[in-house]
Amino acid sequence: MTSPSQIMKAVAPERRALILVVERNPIVQRLERYFLEQAGYSVEFVADGVSALARARELHPQILVTEILVPKMDGLSLCHALKSDPGTRDIRVLVFSHLHAEDRARDAGADAFLIKPLDENLLIENVEKLISTAERSVSEKRQ
Amino acid sequence: MTDKIKTGCAGLDEILFGGIPENTISVIMGAPGTGKTILAEQLAFSQATADAPALYFTTMSEPLEKFIMHGQSYSFFDASQVGVSVFYEDLGLMLRDDGIEKLPEIVTDVLAVRRPRFVFIDSFKALNELLVAPQVRRTVTFDLASVLTSYNCTSFLIGEYADGMMTELPEFAIADVVLQLIKLATNVREERFLRVEKSRASSSISGLHAFSITEDGLEVYPRLLTPYVSPDYTAKTERVNTGIKGLDEMVAEGFWRGSTTLVAGPPGAGKTIMALQFIGEGVLKGEPGVYLGFQENPTQLARVMRNLGLPVEKLLNDGFELMYQSPVEVQLDKVAGELFRRVRAGKVKRVVIDALGDVQRASIDRQRFANLIYALMQWFAVENVTCMLTYEMSNLFEVHGVSDEQISNMSDNVLLLRFQPGPELKRTLRIIKTRGSDHDNREREIRITADGVIIQDFQK
Repeated sequence: MTSPSQIMKAVAPERRALILVVERNPIVQRLERYFLEQAGYSVEFVADGVSALARARELHPQILVTEILVPKMDGLSLCHALKSDPGTRDIRVLVFSHLHAEDRARDAGADAFLIKPLDENLLIENVEKLISTAERSVSEKRQ
Repeated sequence: MTDKIKTGCAGLDEILFGGIPENTISVIMGAPGTGKTILAEQLAFSQATADAPALYFTTMSEPLEKFIMHGQSYSFFDASQVGVSVFYEDLGLMLRDDGIEKLPEIVTDVLAVRRPRFVFIDSFKALNELLVAPQVRRTVTFDLASVLTSYNCTSFLIGEYADGMMTELPEFAIADVVLQLIKLATNVREERFLRVEKSRASSSISGLHAFSITEDGLEVYPRLLTPYVSPDYTAKTERVNTGIKGLDEMVAEGFWRGSTTLVAGPPGAGKTIMALQFIGEGVLKGEPGVYLGFQENPTQLARVMRNLGLPVEKLLNDGFELMYQSPVEVQLDKVAGELFRRVRAGKVKRVVIDALGDVQRASIDRQRFANLIYALMQWFAVENVTCMLTYEMSNLFEVHGVSDEQISNMSDNVLLLRFQPGPELKRTLRIIKTRGSDHDNREREIRITADGVIIQDFQK
């Protein structure tokens, strides 16, 4: 069976940016993978906050999308840990949750907050915004 | 004595005489949509603190996302406390990986990390359904109970259990408290009730207690009990003026303080006017009163009062309370509870319920209605609150019985209003009964005038 990523590689331009998604629910993971890969991104998934922190340090993705309600380390603590570490501080974090916690996400250092349920357009729009600000920041640093 | 934890629901705490005993296991049971999860989350958010957190396990009845989405529509759900004092864990996903037999071990591991004071498993019944073999089911449930009892926490197992399951499922054997939520359909409405099915090592008020679900969560109205002091109270020996010209003279100098008078009659006979005069007279004499009505709203009643020459604004300022309830939406126990609280607070000296038929129609059965009215009357008597009840009779001219038999028997005094056919339609009043008092038992003509109802031929 052809996977969504295989189909989309044929129709969408390869943007290459790596997105690490922290989501405990495999059904939601499947949906997010579909939409993000369709938009041309590379996507990695982890199901808990502790694994996410380790994976972020290892892979250094451009964007990390995290639910707040994930096991072992919640999404807000994960965000705080990433932003406190010079090695991962520049990873853009999008907190994506059912919980109305925009202020708490900002306090934890998140770059953006998006309330669920999953809306493909809103998700991609937010990811694109974060990537463009990240790229702008990198080019400013080079200059 | 065991310490108790509050439930976040004042009415339920009253029923449980203070709350749920600490370090116990409770089952919250009921059909889907009865309010089990709302009650559980209400309890979690109202009691949990960062030092004494709540751990809320979701399982396989609803995804965790739904708990969060629905929970946030209630005022008690403080999103800022999620992950601080209330922790949600998706037990369903954990069990998918490890298997249902590992339930006690998984719960133990999470308890060790979160160190909660309150544990919720919602739905536990959904987990139970995965335990097909009875021996395994009993062992797993027993082990889980051992974990929850050994650890210093108060636990709640929530589930869509039906009545018959109580004798079959092991969670009911390990439970110290069982709360059942019930939804009953009455004509076009649904009413919700709560019952304490089991309360080990702690007493509670028995029976069905009505509740409603509001934006603040569950609001429980404890069943009105008759006062414990009923046989010993001292009845007042003073008389109360009704403000109805001629009527007081027909009953010595008025009805006894603390008595209940039933005014029965057909529509248009003057019941509501008499009731308004009764409260108005009390307020003018410094006795605050509540008029509980189901037909006319406060604006309509104020107009009636003005037409009777009553000083509406002054009366409303001085303690005349118009308590209106739509007969369509009336929640009987809620209304009775509010009335009862006012009486117990000592702020009310006179009460009118206009009309009993509206209350009766709002009740799920006749006995519940009669019990509630009896309890209210007893409280009125003990608190020396004088009460007037109206009752609408359908027949304009012929009288075959005054109100519901039980209510007539309970009332101290019964007045019957009638129309007399003829070229001019006349209204009459007859005192059928006065308890502990003489009365004029002749049928008297009454007139409705700018001064209200007056007894035509019995005025000083």
